[in-house]
Amino acid sequence: MKTGYRYGLGLILGLGLGAGAAWHATGKGFADGDVRNGVWSTSLNYGTNSTDPLTRAAVARRGLLALPKTETVYWAATRDSSGAPLDGSCTYRMTGKALDSRWWSVTVYDKAGYLVANKANIWSFSGASLTPAEQSGWQLTIGPNKPESGHWLPSVAGQGFELTLRMYNPGAAFMKDPSAAELPRLVKEACA
Amino acid sequence: MKQWIGPAALALIAAAGGYYGGLALSTYGLMEAAIRRVASDTGMNAMRYGALPTPENQPVVRPSPDLAYSSCPYDLSKGPVLISVTPAPSRYSSLSVFDARTDVVFVRNDAQANGKPFQIAVARRGQKVPEGVETVRVDYDRGIALVRLLLKTPSDIKDLDGVRRQSTCKQI
Repeated sequence: MKTGYRYGLGLILGLGLGAGAAWHATGKGFADGDVRNGVWSTSLNYGTNSTDPLTRAAVARRGLLALPKTETVYWAATRDSSGAPLDGSCTYRMTGKALDSRWWSVTVYDKAGYLVANKANIWSFSGASLTPAEQSGWQLTIGPNKPESGHWLPSVAGQGFELTLRMYNPGAAFMKDPSAAELPRLVKEACA
Repeated sequence: MKQWIGPAALALIAAAGGYYGGLALSTYGLMEAAIRRVASDTGMNAMRYGALPTPENQPVVRPSPDLAYSSCPYDLSKGPVLISVTPAPSRYSSLSVFDARTDVVFVRNDAQANGKPFQIAVARRGQKVPEGVETVRVDYDRGIALVRLLLKTPSDIKDLDGVRRQSTCKQI
């Protein structure tokens, strides 16, 4: 092989490998944060000029226009408490208390980060849904079928999904140590 | 074998370039695509009062279905942009300004604004702005200013659409 061809091959292979590695590394988006708490993970460096290039690109791909931590903390969950990927054919029980923030919500997305059609037209569950009695303890069913009673966040049978927990204007106590905060727990109950 | 040492070294350098180039392309490219998508109906330097996010309406990845988004895709190449925001009473809203690199260069919520209307100018360094207007200096011409307004239920928008349309964006 001629010298020029060898260098050309090296250049093309190198560029392709590098670009492919960048695409792979940014694919997890919010789900690859450096702060972990139960099934949830986040980074406290979204949206700032000190954000590293990898985090910035991952957020651009999977959570563009995210706010910095002073305004919102975004937690992601892609697996249940046993470590299994979230499956729209399964039913999950989420439990928790009112969170230390001005407002919070849990939203179901597909694995690319988009809302998916469901018959109930419900995509999120927020703290505004809680009764005063539920402030100290609430329960939510996440699954394809509406439960007989209680809060419900629909998933779509046959499709994997992700959860995003948004905490707007998080409290000072939470911000002291987000990894130790009491966040909602997620347990798989059954699969169709 | 020796004849491959040079090409292998070039491949390593190219891989590093491809990696960091890919990250930059993702960041700036996805932001520019979002700017164009948001500007596709109302144009640049104008506030777009978006319909509530649904599976059929998701101009940007991972939208919150609990928020009404009003967005101003801006271009400062011909001058600064003036953004006016009117918070809705007793509920979360915020203005955030994102630059072409996706960084937040300004954010203010309704509580920080004491619930009162406010104005900012977004300008490149050296551009003149009206005297007395709070100014945010940015390093890029293009970006998106985004007003988020919290809805407790989707039907809230009927009562709040009037006040959210008081938030505007225009070239100075």
